[in-house]
Amino acid sequence: MNIVVLMKQVPDTWSERTLRAADNTLDRDAADAVMNELDEYAIEEGLRLTEAHGGEVTIVSMGPEKATESIRKALSMGADKAVHVSDEALHGSDALVTSAVLAKVLERAGFDLVILGSESTDARTGVLAAMLAERLGVPQLTFASKVDIDGSAIAIHRLADYGYDTVEGTLPAVVSVVEKINEPRYPSFKGIMAAKKKPVETLTVADLGIDPAQVGLAASATEVVEWAKRPPRAAGVVVTDDGDGGTKAAEFLASRKFI
Amino acid sequence: MSFVLAAEQLQFAEALHDQLAAADVPAVARQWAAGDRKRGQALWYSLAEAGVAALAVPQRWDGLGAHPADLVIACEELGHHAMPGPIAESLAAVPTLLAVLAGTDEPAADERIAGWLRQLAAGDLIATIAWPPLLPYAADAQLAGLVLVAGPDWVKLAEPGPGLRSVQAGRSLSIVTGKELLAHGAAAAIQQAFEFGVLAGAAQLLGAGRALLDCATAHAVQRTQFGSPIGSFQAVKHQLANVLIALEFGRPLLLAAAVALADDPAGAARDVSAAKVACTDAARLAARVALQVHGAIGYTAEHDLSLWLTLVRAVGPAWGSQRWHRARVLAALAGGS
Repeated sequence: MNIVVLMKQVPDTWSERTLRAADNTLDRDAADAVMNELDEYAIEEGLRLTEAHGGEVTIVSMGPEKATESIRKALSMGADKAVHVSDEALHGSDALVTSAVLAKVLERAGFDLVILGSESTDARTGVLAAMLAERLGVPQLTFASKVDIDGSAIAIHRLADYGYDTVEGTLPAVVSVVEKINEPRYPSFKGIMAAKKKPVETLTVADLGIDPAQVGLAASATEVVEWAKRPPRAAGVVVTDDGDGGTKAAEFLASRKFI
Repeated sequence: MSFVLAAEQLQFAEALHDQLAAADVPAVARQWAAGDRKRGQALWYSLAEAGVAALAVPQRWDGLGAHPADLVIACEELGHHAMPGPIAESLAAVPTLLAVLAGTDEPAADERIAGWLRQLAAGDLIATIAWPPLLPYAADAQLAGLVLVAGPDWVKLAEPGPGLRSVQAGRSLSIVTGKELLAHGAAAAIQQAFEFGVLAGAAQLLGAGRALLDCATAHAVQRTQFGSPIGSFQAVKHQLANVLIALEFGRPLLLAAAVALADDPAGAARDVSAAKVACTDAARLAARVALQVHGAIGYTAEHDLSLWLTLVRAVGPAWGSQRWHRARVLAALAGGS
């Protein structure tokens, strides 16, 4: 089975993230770059599926040159090869443009199954799986907390507030995963050394037969017009317990719909 | 020649750091100390899956045959997270010793030794060793599946006596009695195993020193006195800076010792001893300063600082005293080697 896992490098959630004043795009130099956390689960699921059903895992990533570090990590975890789409022209691409570029890569590489995290921790649009499925004309099975494959049939548990729905489809398909699905492995010494020799194909927009004018910030349908820094955390409310502390705590929880 | 760690080595350190951070080693170490070693042994096994236990085992016996610098990276990270267990013994000294004894012939001269090496690499076996008088006690012999004792030129399977309590909770020290003779005329193998044990212990200490500095620095930023964080006072920050300098000066010696061991295990004594002296001094300084910076809270067993303070106390004097190692450096310099 030919599994493609989409991976994005994002600024570390734990560091101070900001946008660039010049064009309101993400300032990638301001924060440490790491692999999008949910993508680790996507990679793990891809590896588990190939361990069970055979085949290989290809990592596809779109991002600046620095993304090679995260691609290396994905290969150290056990993925077989990688495709890195890196082009200055892509800077500032929104979800629609990104999905168009990735769809081209996927058509070119061929796939039985595309797995991706249900969202990235920086943009958090969570729409890429749907856009890709539409562009590729294949079923989308999103927010999966479990994936089962039997021949060309695929079934997932779609995580919901009330439990899960079972969603079925046929391969080829696009699956987005949530963090409940598995526990990603850590790269082993062997994996890290083996990753050195694994092939990484680097592609430009032109290599994919896409007009550079059709991608990037200018070609994006969405635009960040304005943004503000997160306000500093407000001081908490101190409740003095005059015998009604329990009631006040309950009222607070009720106001936040916890009870 | 490159004197910095390769990208892959840094990635290995980072992967181990992530794995150990997620495993919450301080909690594991506390359970371990209370006699519940289930989580600790599970963690040991998953570290073996990451390759940690196979670094010093040759590829012939299902190991990784890694460079000593890789062993340094792993042991430093284990010390950084206060991982309990006979680390220098089981990950470095014993596999090095057995690998030399097993020889390079196929099949092995002693199939039993080859079997132990395979089990060590897989994380199925934890081993420990004593080499009186330099290493008078076998650490954690109670949980080791293989206990060895070495003499000037012989190696025996050993039976541990009752464990003596160590200053580090959960660590035990045993006087061992030699039983079945495993090898004789093995002075070179024993010496090499000792050097690797010293190297691993030094790395563990450097990692512990780094953790102590991290703790103290974090505390110095949070704790305020006279209206400012205590870290803004020179009396505190200069001490922390001195610790950082000591640790940073220890690391190159440690890596140099690893390179020397890879090039010529028999001629590495000076570099290995220099590394041990520098790393032990740095870790002890880190422990003293961290304790002082923390104030009274640092003395409590409940604060995780105690895990590293006692680790430094326990591992510091193991694998040869500072005086012994300094004498060895002096002898090497005076001898012109």
